Amino acid sequence: MKIENIKKEFPIFNNKVQNNDLVYLDSANSSQKPLVVVDRIYDFYTKEFSNVGRSVHYLAVAATNLYENTRSAVQKYINAKHKNEIVFTKGATEAINLVANTFGQKYLKEGDEILLTELEHHSNYVPWHYLRKNKGIKINFAEIDEHGDISLEDIEKQITNRTKIIAITHLSNVTGAILPIKEITELAHSKGIPVLVDGCQSAPHMKMNMQDLDCDFYAISCHKMYGPTGLGVLYAKKKWLDDLPPYQGGGGMINEVKKDDISFGELPNKFEAGTMATAQVIAFNESINFLNKIGVENLVKHENDLLNYGEELLRKNNSVKLIGNPRKKGAVLSFTIDGIHPHDIATILDEDGVAIRAGHHCCQILHDKLGLTASARASLGVYNSKDDLDKLNESINNCKKIFNK
Amino acid sequence: MNLKELYQEIILDHGKNPRNLGKFDNFNKDAKGHNPLCGDKVHLFLKLDENKKVNDISFEGEGCAISMASASIMTDLMKGKSEKDAKEIIEKFLDMIKEKDDIDTKLLEEDEKTKLMSLGGVKNYPMRVKCATLSWHALSSALEDFQKEVTTE
Ligand SMILES: Cc1ncc(COP(=O)(O)O)c(C=O)c1O
Repeated sequence: MKIENIKKEFPIFNNKVQNNDLVYLDSANSSQKPLVVVDRIYDFYTKEFSNVGRSVHYLAVAATNLYENTRSAVQKYINAKHKNEIVFTKGATEAINLVANTFGQKYLKEGDEILLTELEHHSNYVPWHYLRKNKGIKINFAEIDEHGDISLEDIEKQITNRTKIIAITHLSNVTGAILPIKEITELAHSKGIPVLVDGCQSAPHMKMNMQDLDCDFYAISCHKMYGPTGLGVLYAKKKWLDDLPPYQGGGGMINEVKKDDISFGELPNKFEAGTMATAQVIAFNESINFLNKIGVENLVKHENDLLNYGEELLRKNNSVKLIGNPRKKGAVLSFTIDGIHPHDIATILDEDGVAIRAGHHCCQILHDKLGLTASARASLGVYNSKDDLDKLNESINNCKKIFNK
Repeated sequence: MNLKELYQEIILDHGKNPRNLGKFDNFNKDAKGHNPLCGDKVHLFLKLDENKKVNDISFEGEGCAISMASASIMTDLMKGKSEKDAKEIIEKFLDMIKEKDDIDTKLLEEDEKTKLMSLGGVKNYPMRVKCATLSWHALSSALEDFQKEVTTE
């Protein structure tokens, strides 16, 4: 599949949005879906639908197999050691909540510390905050440097002998900083501390290799990865999934249920209570297929070229200030314009068909640190082109004109 | 073009140079407003005299052109109004922003209405309605003596 022609695979671009060609620069929020994924959902519901793992009839068995095929595809895509290290969730948010809840229950007590970073999305802060409330746990934050980046040393500085888990983003959804996860994990493990990685922004843009990273938990958001909404993946080392208590209780995750006791099922069922997002899981296999057909190396190169091109354009544009200049950067261009509020920018760009996001992008701690209440963010996907970035730049100029800048 | 309607000169002017910006000393009521979705914030200060008239009013805040302009225009025209009249104006303004074509009240001069109507452009931008109404909700809660921060959610 040639990347230059990839836009054709996404039906959304066949339609005008408010009479404009869509310039979609909000993939960090959620990506568009290729036709194969949409079709897969339709086909499943129209020809193959049945619930998974419960009945013995033909359709139920076929659906179960399809569901488990996606688990294998994900395992392969992220190079996990075991198929059962893949747990489906309703999103990355649930994946992180699952770990915070079960790990917290079993291993955390008053006075224990959790280490996050100032880059974290609310999804990787709020679930830990509950533990602060309920268990008296302390949350520490590794601080960003002046480039909006976090190094191994910044993490090391904040580790104490009470640190019980480190939960960090792989790729910041605001500054684009790519953190040295492998090194951080090595350091953490040398001190006996497990590591959870929020991989929402990295999984769609980088080569995934769980065995190489060696982290304990990795949260993925499928809707940012050309997949359906309502679906996430928690990767966790098998030893953890065996060890941690179940998260939710319900059908499908039990072994034996008696009036006086219950025993829980084996992996992977233990963490997948109730009827799961079956159609979404099955369709997500097509997203992985799609990514494999492009080839992650090609995708990385394409998006890097675009990122460099976009940075160059915006740097040259007077009164535009880029946020974050990390050592290694992925697919986001966050910026402010002197004297124009990000919301006004986003509204004006929208009128030109340029879809970006404005706000704090669920990173209030980071924005506070940067002294901003909001920023504008253009984020990239595989379907973007230099044309899109030119249009972004033109539209920014239009914005400046309206505000007499 | 809708954008021209949204970003009229008067809004850009009030957005860039908001009137009544900054806290004053002897306020006797205040309220905060916050739009959690976009981070816009406003803190409203109010001095009601013994006859329950708005003796002075100002605000602090940070936000987009629409929310700043709205707070600026609002504080300008609330000066000297009685508490009761202020409440009616708030109600009529919110009606206009949500659905009505005009501001149905005798308590405002025509030119004041014109200024407020300039904020009506947000009708075409549902996500921006909250920007225009934030400071109005804050004023409403200051008048009601709510101590709680109002949010647009
Ligand atoms: C860095 C980061 N973490 C977590 C999330 C939440 O992911 P989900 O929507 O799958 O719950 C997002 C997406 O909004 C994100 O960008």
